[in-house]
Amino acid sequence: MEFEAVIGLEIHVELNCTTKLFCDCPNRPGDDPNANTCPTCLWLPGAMPRLSEQALEKASLLCLALGAELQPRSAFDQKVYYYPDLPKGYQLSQAHLPLARGGGVDIIDEDGSPCRLRIHHVHMEEDVAKLVHEMEGRVPISLVDFNRAGAPLVEIVTEPDFRAPHQAMEFLKALRTQVRYVGASECSMENGTMRCDANISVRPRGTTQMNTKVEVKNMNSVRHVGDAIAYEIERQGASVQAGEAVVLHTRLWDPDKKATLPMRAKFEGPTVPDPSVSAIELSREWIERMRAQLPEMPAARAERLVEQHGLTRDEALSLSADPESADFLEALVAEGVAPRMAMHWLTTQLLPAVRERRQGLGTSPVSPVRLAGLLHMLAKEEVNAKAARDVLAQMFESDRRPEAIVQACGFSQISDRGALDDLIDQVIRGQESAVANYRAGQEKALGFLVGQVMQASRGKANPKVIRELLVERLGA
Amino acid sequence: MDPIFFHRNPDPATAEGPRQGLRVALQPNLAVAGWPMEAGSRALAGYAAPEDATIVRRLRASGAHLSGSTHMSEFGLGLAGNGTGAALRAGEADVELVLDLMGESRLAAAGAAVCGFKPSYGLVSRFGLVGLIPSMECCGIMSESLGGIRAVLQVVAGQDGLDFSLPEEPVPDFAPETVDPARITVGVVGEAQHDLGVTQEEAFRSAIDGMAGAGFAVRQVSLPEWPLFALVHRIVGSVEASSAAGRYDSVRYGRRASGAKNWNEMYLLSRGAAFGTLLKSYLIQGAYFQFERYGAFEDACRIRARLVGEMRRLMAEVDVLALPAVVSGPRGGEAADDASDAPDGVYAQFALTLFANVTGQPALCLPSTMASHTGLQLVGPRLSDGRLLALAEYLQKTGRGGN
Ligand SMILES: [Zn+2]
Repeated sequence: MEFEAVIGLEIHVELNCTTKLFCDCPNRPGDDPNANTCPTCLWLPGAMPRLSEQALEKASLLCLALGAELQPRSAFDQKVYYYPDLPKGYQLSQAHLPLARGGGVDIIDEDGSPCRLRIHHVHMEEDVAKLVHEMEGRVPISLVDFNRAGAPLVEIVTEPDFRAPHQAMEFLKALRTQVRYVGASECSMENGTMRCDANISVRPRGTTQMNTKVEVKNMNSVRHVGDAIAYEIERQGASVQAGEAVVLHTRLWDPDKKATLPMRAKFEGPTVPDPSVSAIELSREWIERMRAQLPEMPAARAERLVEQHGLTRDEALSLSADPESADFLEALVAEGVAPRMAMHWLTTQLLPAVRERRQGLGTSPVSPVRLAGLLHMLAKEEVNAKAARDVLAQMFESDRRPEAIVQACGFSQISDRGALDDLIDQVIRGQESAVANYRAGQEKALGFLVGQVMQASRGKANPKVIRELLVERLGA
Repeated sequence: MDPIFFHRNPDPATAEGPRQGLRVALQPNLAVAGWPMEAGSRALAGYAAPEDATIVRRLRASGAHLSGSTHMSEFGLGLAGNGTGAALRAGEADVELVLDLMGESRLAAAGAAVCGFKPSYGLVSRFGLVGLIPSMECCGIMSESLGGIRAVLQVVAGQDGLDFSLPEEPVPDFAPETVDPARITVGVVGEAQHDLGVTQEEAFRSAIDGMAGAGFAVRQVSLPEWPLFALVHRIVGSVEASSAAGRYDSVRYGRRASGAKNWNEMYLLSRGAAFGTLLKSYLIQGAYFQFERYGAFEDACRIRARLVGEMRRLMAEVDVLALPAVVSGPRGGEAADDASDAPDGVYAQFALTLFANVTGQPALCLPSTMASHTGLQLVGPRLSDGRLLALAEYLQKTGRGGN
């Protein structure tokens, strides 16, 4: 019997708000333990939650970015469970009335066909505290860090539309891009600002039944999500083949063993509406105001990059996946740099250089204006490509204008025929056999001679002019 | 042990303000910065409030003096162990604040022969209140004079930047207003008159007759679903309590049980040692509905919405409801101890008062002059708190209403 998998994802995204969800404490979980706390997020008796407007706005933008429909009325419930990372005994979460319903993400399937993966709903919730396990002498102790307690989270619950690991990975990548576009979250699985659980079941191919599912957690990268799903499909398929029943439970992905392992179930109770947080009522006007704040989304941008700047579809897609790079390219073009040259220098020179220096495009000293200055000189052949690369390297070291660096370091390209004549004389005298070869009809020898002149000029000569001069001097 | 105060305020100083000279006793479930806030429970042993509750902050700013916090039942549920009224009787306070979960402030008032008032839900901030049933509880006010209740209400009611759950509604005006009996219809709830003792029934009838004699239009009204109020209160209330009390894990305050093998066992042992019998029964009941009979909880929420709607329709026909308030047992709550450590007994005791907690209506209890431990309950539509006080003042002034 052939099996197919039915997969749904639950994705937690930590919003990059300045404060927590229900108090004014800084939303910086990485600070010194318990530095960012108050009675509300320490969940002390008598404290009241106060919903952050910024969190509501960012969560709403995220919903709109995913095409989900913001609901006119949503509300928080107390999701009851007992665990030391939740010393309040319940988590505030929109269990009954989520912020938004519907929506979806478009991906390209493995066979190259477009495919839409639907979202069931998106809701807000607060994060729990972090447990740190240590030894006090020989006694194991658990410490609770409340910096993360009450941090604003959004949970995206998909429809069980997924059939293969590839779809889940593409979905996560596209989702990440879209959420980053609206500036709602960093969405890094490695840093834990995006977490993904997968619900997986298998059934005979061609049937439509929904079988018992297994939840898989603890994947720390998009790659892990794909690996864990692939493993779990295989595992469940084998156990069904062997006639064993799949039981509802939770498994953890172990990246070292490359396997999913069963975990002890967390005791989880139902939900109670919380009267301490007012229901959220969104007016049509408010929703429209949010919608107006939406930037151009990646798919639309990619299309425009192709049409307006003549990029290839692949270039446009990969560029629009990273709003910072796309912004940089468009800024270069706005400065008058030809789109092809801008694309080439951005992807082959600037991005690797920035990465090597562990900087970001936005924080590196090479602004679009400065790089455009350099590329203009290149276009006008005032520097050659090699010198331009050296100038770029220098631009990371000082904030001088590229023109000044070229001047000061003598990077100007020698295109002056008079200045090159001497060098060419020298080379013709020193390379008799190459000259003879060229004259005997070996075209390759000309390239060698150009290289020799370049070397003699220490890379500053304009190779095009050298070639012209050599051909003139040596006769066709 | 101080017979009146759990914690006496050692500091006599007050701010300058319109309420200077007013002495207010509260319960140790309202946060006063630095005061022990144990809410009558061992689960909060050793816990001191980090900051003032909004009610406390506003009272202090108005110049009122906080006399201290009184002894109270565990988390304010029921009247057992409740020292409510003692500070008033002993002349140690002019006003007492009492958490009203199902009628505690009104029944305690009837027991102490003073006035008791539960404001409309959503009118008074819950910031800094250690409650138990968040959708039903409200800080009640007890005083010998209705003026004392008004004086506190005027200061503490209204929007609060620290309690976003207060609805954005206009705060009623609590200034005294003239009452024209001819324009007021009083609805007497038939279902609330069963099971009254002879003297209590006489006292209630005389109060109603007095109102009719004063020119109020008195009508018999019926709430056919009356028994459902108690059922809804019991299911929703116990579920909310179970959820709200989930935080008492003994880790940061309270007493941690020793000898536990893991965190779960530590929770169980500590909670078992901390909570009293009544609260334990109540929490177990709530946990039962939460985990085993969730459908019943959902039904109760739906029925609650229906009851609120029915009440709204009724309140469109009459201006105020009149019901008796009766404290069972010869000495009020304290004597009813045996009945009070089981939820059944407590719910029987509060059968006539708890509906106002289900609907969020303001409810006032005036002590009867004819029968002890008995009062006349007046209940208005939400946010009619000011009119209700004015009506009660009229009745007291004219000697009508059996007062
Ligand atoms: Zn906080």
